[in-house]
Amino acid sequence: MTTGNPMMYVGAVGLIMIGLFTVLSKRNLIKIIVGLTLLDTGVNLLLVAIGYIHNRTAPILTQAHADPSKMVDPVPQALVLTAIVIGLGVTALALALAIRVYGHYKTLDTRKIRGLKW
Amino acid sequence: MVATLLIALPFLGAFLIPLVALASKKLSHYIPAVVMLTNLGIALSLLPQVMNAPIVISLSGWSAPIAINFVVGPLGLGLAILISFIGFLVSVYGISYIHEEPKEKYHMLVLTLLTGATGMVLTGDIFNLFVFFEILSLSSYALTGYNRDRGGTEAAIKYLIQGSIGSSFILIGIALLYGMTGTLNMADIAAHVAGADPTLLFMAMSLLIVGFGVEAAIFPLNAWLPDAHSSAPSSVSAILSGIAIETGAYAVARIVYTVFDGHGIMLVLSILGVITLLIGEMSAFRQKDDIKRLLAYSSVGQMGLIMLAFGIASDAGVFAALFQLVSHTLAKALLFLASGYIIYRVGSKKLSALAGLGRKMPFTGAMIAVAVLSLVGVPPFAGFMSKFSIVRAALAQHSASYTGLIVLVLVATVIEVGYFMKLLQILFFTEAETEGRVKELPLSALIPITILAALIIAIGVYPHMISTVLQHAASGLVQRSAYIQSVLGAL
Repeated sequence: MTTGNPMMYVGAVGLIMIGLFTVLSKRNLIKIIVGLTLLDTGVNLLLVAIGYIHNRTAPILTQAHADPSKMVDPVPQALVLTAIVIGLGVTALALALAIRVYGHYKTLDTRKIRGLKW
Repeated sequence: MVATLLIALPFLGAFLIPLVALASKKLSHYIPAVVMLTNLGIALSLLPQVMNAPIVISLSGWSAPIAINFVVGPLGLGLAILISFIGFLVSVYGISYIHEEPKEKYHMLVLTLLTGATGMVLTGDIFNLFVFFEILSLSSYALTGYNRDRGGTEAAIKYLIQGSIGSSFILIGIALLYGMTGTLNMADIAAHVAGADPTLLFMAMSLLIVGFGVEAAIFPLNAWLPDAHSSAPSSVSAILSGIAIETGAYAVARIVYTVFDGHGIMLVLSILGVITLLIGEMSAFRQKDDIKRLLAYSSVGQMGLIMLAFGIASDAGVFAALFQLVSHTLAKALLFLASGYIIYRVGSKKLSALAGLGRKMPFTGAMIAVAVLSLVGVPPFAGFMSKFSIVRAALAQHSASYTGLIVLVLVATVIEVGYFMKLLQILFFTEAETEGRVKELPLSALIPITILAALIIAIGVYPHMISTVLQHAASGLVQRSAYIQSVLGAL
């Protein structure tokens, strides 16, 4: 059902991979959190790409008799809106916790944050 | 429509707490207990109706698979009853246990966590499942770090990082599924998967299992659990261990059974379960000093057992899994609640500090012994019946692989006996370093613990009390065409 440009999928999956790589390889908590947001954004782009239909426009109803056959699938866009809000919450909590970790350990280096057994 | 209250009430309660706290701080601490008791009443009153036919509710006036729908079947409602019951007991316990300010934030987060868990078991929409899952996980990240100490903060950030990678995987899985089937309704997806591309389908299923597997603590996705469960406040550990990981297991089972009809993956699920079980029990056996860490590793092991039973794809197997889930929830909630005040009284999490404590506080000691014996699987406690039904269900498969797995389960049980008997020995048969009695737990802790212990014994002696509901729930999960029919036909 999707006839989008394959480059959109490549871009989205690429962003997901970059995010995953950042989370797995970086040692700085802030960089890990940045990786998480990259991962989130990649997933959101993937969702939008899946709902895209070639040569159609955004599903925004500006006049009463809009033609739905000229619009892309609105459901993934609604999902992305929800996912963005959730991502905001997660990032905010992660940063707040990172601040507190810094307060306890005076560092953000995960190699030195080892109060518990990893 | 009364079933929507099960989700609406706790949400309303959660956001009412800060407002009520402006007027009276004390009053606001009682809201979670009241809300969860109401929920328990509503859920129990719906039970007879649901046993006949599932209630399907579609929200916002849309029809057919477009609307977000709630499916209140025997499985969902049974788990919702369990969640509100444990939620109620933990809320009662939390009224006096939590000392760290701001208390109203603690109570609010507990209610949002319980909302997320209830929503997850009742929803029939896969994206809604994800949203409720996120509500549950965000609240549990925050609650893990509630005490603001070193351990709690570190455990919370670890849990958050692993958990959010898991949720991203879930979202990718949902995106793939939506791309293939064009719908988000689980029953509608289930009706469409037969014609979809098997490779993409397998990818979507793996992503979803991995995502929910992080919460369900399936090996190798369980690195966060021992830290989070042992560093969180004890009432939170009880919820995490008794509710949060169980809903993760429910989500995995729902995805595998209902959405994908994944018969090929069942044995893999069982094998993963046994590995989780062995790893959990062996790590628990190694624990020499921290009692909460020991309990947390034991939770990992028990989750493995539940996964193993879910993998026995028969009515009896799923029944055994659900039975094990209930008995583990009751016993582990009791142990965490009891250990919370014990740690507070003794001033240390160390096992050696607990020497002779069972004789100094005989009532609490006896309750702990009930829970421990139930987890190990000694008759006449609930744990015996559930482990027995797992073994029976696995042997009834008449297949060499399941018989072999059961042998490993028995080996793991021996390890479990080893460390739990060590715990009992420390509690009852080791000479205490100091003389004199220790004060028994306060009433707000004793009542929940006593109720849990009484239930463990009651279910063990008279399993018919819950087995009818569990049997209906199990067949509701195994017979997926009936689920699809009841959801799509009723809409």
